[in-house]
Amino acid sequence: MLPRLPNLVWLAALMVAGVVVATAAEPALHERVDALIEQAASGKPVAGPAEEAEFFRRVHLDFAGVIPTVEEMRAFVADPAPDKRTRMIDSLLNGPDYAKRMADWFHVHLMERRADHDLWLSWLERAFAENRPWDQMAAQIIRGDFRDEANRGATFFLSNRLEKYGQNTTDYPGLTRDVGRLFLGMDLQCAECHNHRLIDDYDQADFQGLFAAFKNLTLLPGDYPAVEEGVISEKLKYASVFTQKERLTGPRVPGRDEIAIAVFEKGQEYEVTPDKKAKQPGVPKFSALEAFATEIPHSPTFSPNFVNRLWFLMMGRGLVEPLDQFHSENPASHPEVLDLLAREFVARGHDIRWLVRELALTRVYQRSSRLPEGVESLPEEAFLVAKQRRLSAEQLLASALRATGAELDAAAREELEKRFLKAFANEPKEPEYEFAPSLKSALFVMNDPEVGRLLEAGPGAIVSRLVAEPDAARVAGDLYGAILSRPPTTEETDEVVAYLKGQSSDRTRALREIAWALLASTEFAVNH
Amino acid sequence: MTDRLCTPDEHLWSRRRVLGRLARAGAAGIGAGGLGGLLHPAVAEEVARNDRQILFIWLDGGISQFESWDPKPASRFGGPFRSIPTSVPGIHYSELMPRTAKLAHLLTVVRNLQTQDNSHSAGVPRILRGDPANRGVTYPYFGSAVAKLLGPGDSGLPPYVWIKPGSGGFKTENAGFLGPKYGAVAFGDGKPPENFVRPEGLSAEEDAARQALLDRFNARFVKGRPGRANEAQSHVYDMARKLMARAELFDTTRLSERDLDRYGRTELGTHLLVARNMLEAGVRFVQVTSYGWDTHGDHFNGSASLIPKFDRAFASIVEDLRDRGMLDRVLVVAMSEFGRTPRINGHHGRDHYPEAWSLAMAGPGLVPGATIGATDAEGVFVDAPRSYDIGSVFHTWYHALGIDSKKVEFHNADQPLPIAHHEMEPIREALA
Repeated sequence: MLPRLPNLVWLAALMVAGVVVATAAEPALHERVDALIEQAASGKPVAGPAEEAEFFRRVHLDFAGVIPTVEEMRAFVADPAPDKRTRMIDSLLNGPDYAKRMADWFHVHLMERRADHDLWLSWLERAFAENRPWDQMAAQIIRGDFRDEANRGATFFLSNRLEKYGQNTTDYPGLTRDVGRLFLGMDLQCAECHNHRLIDDYDQADFQGLFAAFKNLTLLPGDYPAVEEGVISEKLKYASVFTQKERLTGPRVPGRDEIAIAVFEKGQEYEVTPDKKAKQPGVPKFSALEAFATEIPHSPTFSPNFVNRLWFLMMGRGLVEPLDQFHSENPASHPEVLDLLAREFVARGHDIRWLVRELALTRVYQRSSRLPEGVESLPEEAFLVAKQRRLSAEQLLASALRATGAELDAAAREELEKRFLKAFANEPKEPEYEFAPSLKSALFVMNDPEVGRLLEAGPGAIVSRLVAEPDAARVAGDLYGAILSRPPTTEETDEVVAYLKGQSSDRTRALREIAWALLASTEFAVNH
Repeated sequence: MTDRLCTPDEHLWSRRRVLGRLARAGAAGIGAGGLGGLLHPAVAEEVARNDRQILFIWLDGGISQFESWDPKPASRFGGPFRSIPTSVPGIHYSELMPRTAKLAHLLTVVRNLQTQDNSHSAGVPRILRGDPANRGVTYPYFGSAVAKLLGPGDSGLPPYVWIKPGSGGFKTENAGFLGPKYGAVAFGDGKPPENFVRPEGLSAEEDAARQALLDRFNARFVKGRPGRANEAQSHVYDMARKLMARAELFDTTRLSERDLDRYGRTELGTHLLVARNMLEAGVRFVQVTSYGWDTHGDHFNGSASLIPKFDRAFASIVEDLRDRGMLDRVLVVAMSEFGRTPRINGHHGRDHYPEAWSLAMAGPGLVPGATIGATDAEGVFVDAPRSYDIGSVFHTWYHALGIDSKKVEFHNADQPLPIAHHEMEPIREALA
């Protein structure tokens, strides 16, 4: 059958529109993005730039995974250099925590709290550390080659999804769906058994083309994530449950041509013949996954999907929403921005750090989370005010430890991490897209004895330390600086001073109350 | 998980209807309400005023209809127990339920249930989710569905509370596609979940003082900012505080001796008493689970022990709800995932039987004293003309709760989803 290119005409049209833009004299990408966003705002009020401390906390959380220390924050705020924001972004993107932070980010994004694996996490971290291009990373994940020792960890994406849960059969359709969702921005769930009833662009052939390759995998037991690919010798037969008409497809990536199946004589199909006794998994000569690894970056939504997901991570909302609903009836809020970014990303060889940097340099990213004076609300999809974003359980833990200065040994930290994950991470397979506080998380912050103990854990912990500080205004500065990563306002300083004075009989308790309330506040819980 | 993501009978929606909805949803900003939103704001407003509550008693493993609602004394499969007259002339229950029999005029009993699954693993979720047509999504349990459709009400307490033996906690899996926030707050052994109680060393005064500071800080932060994050955060903190402040609700040591005697000093009795207090406090949906009903062996001795315990506790709470005037707003349901076989097996047991079984209800919108349908003389099959599957039962419950189950829909991302099986109808004879 023909590749379903007509359905992707809308994308082609965008490409053409983009070419026109590209021929004009070119300012930096982030400036072009800002121009497009502000042009589309058509005169609506726009939030000003984030205050120094707010910006600094934001980039720290995003690119180092933790709030800054109070000293770092003060130094940044005091720095008079006009280009300090750009320098700070560069310093963080080249800093020691960048790769780990990106690995955490993408781990949660791609695995959706199913499980983790040391090899997978270290593979991600290494890839981000060496700024491996996204097309290569995706190819390694999709290829899942157990012989490729350096990239074995990448296979966890596939292998974990081949694990059986309880008495259920291996969820091949679920794996197929996740590849479509996470790499192509297309949730093909409802196109498994028939063409999607609501989305014309999603053909059953798109699901089945992907399924043809992924249904052919088996999970291999062992210490490292590994899958075995079976021999494919003929096309996959499927039928719409509505029309009952049978169709055939070979492995195919949406928007691309079907991959020709190379058929070998019986006995000649394997490059490495499987041998059960020797526990030697087979390697077929024709590998659909190998073909997919080459093909998938050329799928029309591959690069737009990555751009959109990174935009989502940094701005709190995708240009296309929901993230996995790329199709012609669900255009991006700013189609020309998405197109521009996707095109430039491809032109730069899928350079992730470069794209992160360009997005971080936009005014969109650097806006205040405060609405402009006198404005009650702004449409979220206009990106005119910074959206308050969810912090991951990992970010919350690292930040709570830094904020409180608690001194914990490795075992105690590990135990605390478990508690934080239980309180703040979503259930497996629930994407962590929105800020979604729960009764469980509230009770955790309110009543878990370990949370309360952080404030006084060791002589360096915030309450223990500040008890000895006689200057109440300095106490206020330290509390706000350490926990909320900003200087207090005059009103807030006065409030702390008065509070301490009013409770002078039990200063420790008063400090504990303020420190806890700051730690439990919405301001601490979100990246604003 | 089935091996298919979605199945043939999904979306019986006309295309125009769906597209029209999508257009409207688009205009309102898709995603603004998050997943699982309701489609019609007007309907949402209507249900916000709804004060109906639910007591859902789940007898896990399968209570026998023969030894309870639909006895067949002196018949081939009837077993050793007699039947006794009830407060409704002509209607008999098993002699194991003497107190409930006196309340039959308040109850609506359905004797012609016929469902699909005879295994626990399939039956429990299927019954609790109402077995909607498979649309490739996991439907919520009835409690989560009600939590979504009717909300927490004015009580400030969580809308879906589950009192059960064993472990408690946050049972988010019950919520299916509605998302974790509609899961159950489970009180294991009647006790609250982890972190429910102020930690040792933190006085009530200190806690109140720091909470007051927190509110002040949050109010300051939200000033001039879009408020949704803060609203969400404040909402869960408020709920946590309200629940902590109502500690007496789940403190079983405070239950009165007299009540305990009436309800029976049993696990189910105690849990139903806790349930009564929660309903009085305004919790929207209280589920009480009792385990141990899967009597494959020694069924008759088992029934002689289990059913009187149920009888006592159930009759007591129905009386209490009646005396407090609460049957006007609390829908009471007592049921299992299936009934038990007519055939008595080699271990003097009865096995799983979805072919012909019973459930009991009471409360608003129902015909009190009605007995719906019948089984044949030996209790093997449902008598013509009709039997009811769980989908019909869900429609009936929604009607009783004042929710038009043919009109109100869930909305999962782009997909409109009926709240009960689209091909089934409510049990009209049961509805007032």
